[in-house]
Amino acid sequence: MKAGMNMTYLSSIKPSHINTRKFFVNLVLLSSLVLATALLMTQAQAAADLEINTPAISGIKNSMQTRHAQLSGFYASGAVGFTRDGLVAVRDANAVPLAQRQGVNALVSAENNDRNALYREIATANSHPEWEAEVRSTFAQRWIQKAQSGWYYQDGSGWVKK
Amino acid sequence: MLSRLLCTGIFCLSFAHPALALSSISIEAATVETADTQLRNLRAEVKLPAADYLQLHLAGEIKSAADSSQAPAPDHVKSEAGHSWQAASLDCAALVQKNLAAGQQEWQCAKGLLNLQGAKLPFSLSLQQQNPGYQLALQLQGASFSDAAGSHAAENLHLQATLNLKPDVAAPAKAAPAKSAQAQARPGWQWQLGLDWQQGELYWQPWYIASGGHTLQASGHYAGDTLSVTQAALNLDKVGQASASGLWQGGKIQTLHVDAPDLALAPLYSLLLQPMLADSALNKLELAGQAGLSLHIEHGEPVSALLSLKQVDMEDQQGRFALYKLNAHIPWEYDAARQVQLNYAGGHLLKIPLGETSVLAELNRYSLTTPQLYLPILDGALSLTDVSATQAGGQWHWHLRANLVPISMPALSHALGWPRMEGKVAAAIPMVTYSAGNLTTNGDLLFQMFNGNILVKGLRMQTPLGSAARLQANLEMQRLDLGDLTRTFSFGAIEGKLDGAVNHLELSNWQPVAFDADFHSSPGKYRKKISQRAVENISALGGAGAVAAIQRSVLRFFDEFNYADLGWRCQLRNDICSMSGVEYSGPGYVIVKGSGVPAITVMGYNHKVGWSDLITRLKRVTEGNSSPVIK
Repeated sequence: MKAGMNMTYLSSIKPSHINTRKFFVNLVLLSSLVLATALLMTQAQAAADLEINTPAISGIKNSMQTRHAQLSGFYASGAVGFTRDGLVAVRDANAVPLAQRQGVNALVSAENNDRNALYREIATANSHPEWEAEVRSTFAQRWIQKAQSGWYYQDGSGWVKK
Repeated sequence: MLSRLLCTGIFCLSFAHPALALSSISIEAATVETADTQLRNLRAEVKLPAADYLQLHLAGEIKSAADSSQAPAPDHVKSEAGHSWQAASLDCAALVQKNLAAGQQEWQCAKGLLNLQGAKLPFSLSLQQQNPGYQLALQLQGASFSDAAGSHAAENLHLQATLNLKPDVAAPAKAAPAKSAQAQARPGWQWQLGLDWQQGELYWQPWYIASGGHTLQASGHYAGDTLSVTQAALNLDKVGQASASGLWQGGKIQTLHVDAPDLALAPLYSLLLQPMLADSALNKLELAGQAGLSLHIEHGEPVSALLSLKQVDMEDQQGRFALYKLNAHIPWEYDAARQVQLNYAGGHLLKIPLGETSVLAELNRYSLTTPQLYLPILDGALSLTDVSATQAGGQWHWHLRANLVPISMPALSHALGWPRMEGKVAAAIPMVTYSAGNLTTNGDLLFQMFNGNILVKGLRMQTPLGSAARLQANLEMQRLDLGDLTRTFSFGAIEGKLDGAVNHLELSNWQPVAFDADFHSSPGKYRKKISQRAVENISALGGAGAVAAIQRSVLRFFDEFNYADLGWRCQLRNDICSMSGVEYSGPGYVIVKGSGVPAITVMGYNHKVGWSDLITRLKRVTEGNSSPVIK
């Protein structure tokens, strides 16, 4: 199978920059814009398919889904939040009783193992292992978009409450 | 910080002492600075509700200049809590001073309370000035504290501490010999410490201690930057006892002798070891048995150690491995090679049973070597020779030669939960190497089964016990008996021989993610028959309308058919199997090519199929056909 089966997520990976200045110039430039757009399209066709599925990926997703039930309470209490690099981190251990803090650490560590494996597997399944960083940053944005209000995520300045 | 504030309190009291006739005194100070702490808006208040005791209240704001304890906290936490002024207070509801005999004094503070940011420490304290020396007794009564990140915290802590300090006697004859020559130059203290953790929980990342019952008794000498511990006895509740002695100088451990001959492994694991092994394959164990440990550090470097395991049962909670009745004697010396002994009664690794084994090896500083390891497995064995392992840069690297003494397939297939298979498996691998989580083999594994051979070549694995285990290999099949094969997997009967190859096989988490498979009839003359049920099953695998048996009408009249050739290819990529057969024919491809009378030809028209769909159908077909295996 070729990479790029699914076109719906392309825009989130390779945002196209449309230079509005070009609309003011003559036909020659306009045609070059058309050419540039065509080039962007072909580039976009080489982008990663994030919905790709392999047994390994569905295994990881299942394991993450099962764990989510345990983690969502900690997201809501602000104990755990989403980081900029597509992982989760203990944000405020004080929101968790002492006896559960080890457990939260273990959950976070297992979740991050799965997330790292997921990004690697998706890049590998697309036959482009070097796309891992790109897959990761796209997922990082997705997790934040999907997060419920009241959950925490990291931006450039630190933790932010959604 | 605690000791500093207490000192400040004592200082203030002695200052107020001459004014006992007054009913209260208050002292205020704008700022007080020490090397690493700043105080401001200090207010000390002393009340005299009765003739025989004082009430003390000390309050102010505190800022730590060298905020090293906050350093690991994330930036934002630091800016919020790290370098700002914190309110702090110290209270003593009943402060009593007693004059004992011969110029000795005793201060007692009952119902004391120290309040700091994130800490609330109710205490009672007594300080006795002796002649010479001091005796301090501190009782924490339900103390709690937490740092800003919550990674170091305690709740409801009840702790009894006693400390005896005696200054060194001036006469050098009484001082400790030789090694504390430095200590003689400066005045030092003989100390004796007792700690009794009665109850309360503590989280000190990554460790969590749920309850008390632990004690420490220690004594030694302190002078300048040198702390020596002559003897220390630690008693961990349910775990066992450890004794230690050592020398701590200039912020470094110079000498340490630890001896813990008999520790209960299960509580030790959950209390101390498990958090340290969080990212290893040993992070979820069920354990039973005893362990012993001793360690010697001289001049800041480990020189010898001994780890022993007694009757240990070890089971991975995820079922990846287990060892039973494990006994080990693992001595280690920096300067000499030592003999390691290890034996176990049984166990399993990835469902493959391990038999009783005894191992002798030589441990030489950071490398482990043994001429031969013989690990019985079922009715065969894994024989490892020229084993050499080294630890470098925190990673293990090893290489060895492996021979698999034939294991019978009926036993192995049963152990692995596969359908019963006849035959045996053997292997000769001239070189197996493992380095930083990667296992590579140079040689072939040979499975002699289905009256033919299956060769596994170029087997490589990454983190086989990790969460994302990967495996790569090439498989080659030679003259497998299709009769045995179809009976084993309860597929409709086919007679014949099969050759095949599965190249570039890649498993992730033990699931196939890619391969190039090609199966076809072996060359040569032999009986080639395919049953009606096999034809139907092949058709069912392709999905409705995908596979058609030409001469369908003939099916009804015969149970089995002749064929000239059969073949199936599948290239798996991204969960899609691209299929073809013996040859292409029109819009489809030939899977079974008929010949003679009655003949049958099976065609495939589906060129791509979802791998998981195919597996689901295969399961349905084989389960639907399940019937007793007739030998």
